[in-house]
Amino acid sequence: MKEEIIVSGRMNQMIDPHLNIWHWEIPLYLFLGGLAAGVLFFAALFFINGKENTYPTAVRKAPFIAPIALIIGLLALFFDLRHKLYFWQLYTHIRLMSPMSWGAWTLMIITPISFIWCALNIRELFPKWDWNYEWIKETEVFLRKYQLVLAWAMMIYAMILGIYTGILLSAFNARPLWNTSILGPLFLASGLSAGASVTILMSKIKKERKRFAEIDLIVIGIELFLIIHMFMGFLASTEVQVDAAGLFLGGPYTMAFWIFVVILGMLLPAILEIMEIRKYHIPAFAPAILVLFGSLMLRFIFVYAGQVSRWLY
Amino acid sequence: MKEKTPKKYINPYLGGVLLGLVLLAANFISGRGLGASGAIKSCVVTAVTTISPSATESSDFLKEYGKAHAGSPMKNWLVFEMLGVIVGGFLSGAWAGRLNFKVEHSPKITSRKRLIMALSGGILFGFGSQLGRGCTSGSALSGMAVLSLGGFITMMAIFGTAFGLAYFFRKNWI
Repeated sequence: MKEEIIVSGRMNQMIDPHLNIWHWEIPLYLFLGGLAAGVLFFAALFFINGKENTYPTAVRKAPFIAPIALIIGLLALFFDLRHKLYFWQLYTHIRLMSPMSWGAWTLMIITPISFIWCALNIRELFPKWDWNYEWIKETEVFLRKYQLVLAWAMMIYAMILGIYTGILLSAFNARPLWNTSILGPLFLASGLSAGASVTILMSKIKKERKRFAEIDLIVIGIELFLIIHMFMGFLASTEVQVDAAGLFLGGPYTMAFWIFVVILGMLLPAILEIMEIRKYHIPAFAPAILVLFGSLMLRFIFVYAGQVSRWLY
Repeated sequence: MKEKTPKKYINPYLGGVLLGLVLLAANFISGRGLGASGAIKSCVVTAVTTISPSATESSDFLKEYGKAHAGSPMKNWLVFEMLGVIVGGFLSGAWAGRLNFKVEHSPKITSRKRLIMALSGGILFGFGSQLGRGCTSGSALSGMAVLSLGGFITMMAIFGTAFGLAYFFRKNWI
């Protein structure tokens, strides 16, 4: 047997000249995870604030999207694994320094919470729902008693989930485009914006749609602020980061990023929402769909461009 | 709603001047004129190439276009321009209070007939624009702006034919 010592990743075609490992599964999951985080965050927030009856769609209906999004997202993650049968080993460790460990455990907590939340609100969709078994009914009474505690846990874990979708990339110090701490808050904001949009799409109450359009506007403002600061950070940094930012400033991803993410996914929906708030007649689905599209494109473009970005050697 | 009745359309002559300024701006910013059929052609070439690359190879019409647009035909100024047209149209419709789903047609014909006529007209125009190397915007408007003889001929052919044949189709409108 011929033994080899590998001292460099440069002979690996999937790493050099650029990473070619993450495909559609990862950005799809990052989008769905962010979306679920956004939906669950608003549900918990307005429940804690006692606004359950003012914003019933956000608290009781929109959360039904979360478990579906999480399951599809987790399936996508599962497809991405090379050694699929060993995924359970993630749950034999807790590594505080590893974003993947954080993500695995966060999902392990928030997915059941999202199911419980939906179960508590099941009569919103099926008014005549009956649990049939006595022990389930007793559990429901018990959980309803502690729903406020559940809401707090859901809100905190939704935030962790939203931030972790960005940190998963930014912890990757070999890829300068990802290696910025702005990515966590940016992906959280994008997930919140997507969550607000889903609520707008599902709501039949004018007041609720208006409030979520306002929330969405504020979040879009924060996203634009973060994007500007991300580029300022890159451009004020070393040649490597300047090069990474160049992918979006004249490089191959320029048009896709600025047109699909910033213009169609943020500025245009913001304009439409401002018009809507000013009482122009705008179909509510238009800005919401645009925001969801922009949010999905943000993940795709970042995952693909990040793999192309590299150190200069 | 801010206003119950839609705002009036602007004066067509003023609209024409504005369109001219758009063309001027397009030439200034992108170095190219306006176009509509080119964007559709990009979509067609991309769709055909994706589904059946051999079909693109066997057709000179599709192959040449692919060659002329290295990379992807979708990374084309006209494709993005058309996206902008849709966005701009939507915004201006919203601003004027004119956003709703309807088929505009003469009261004498049905929506169905109007849609069938529009589709057939569109198909004919699509063929024509490719034989004539451009449509009203790409060939006639942008061409005339740079004093291209072809542009003037296209303009006369398009509007002359429409003027000549309008008589036979007038029942669809009046």
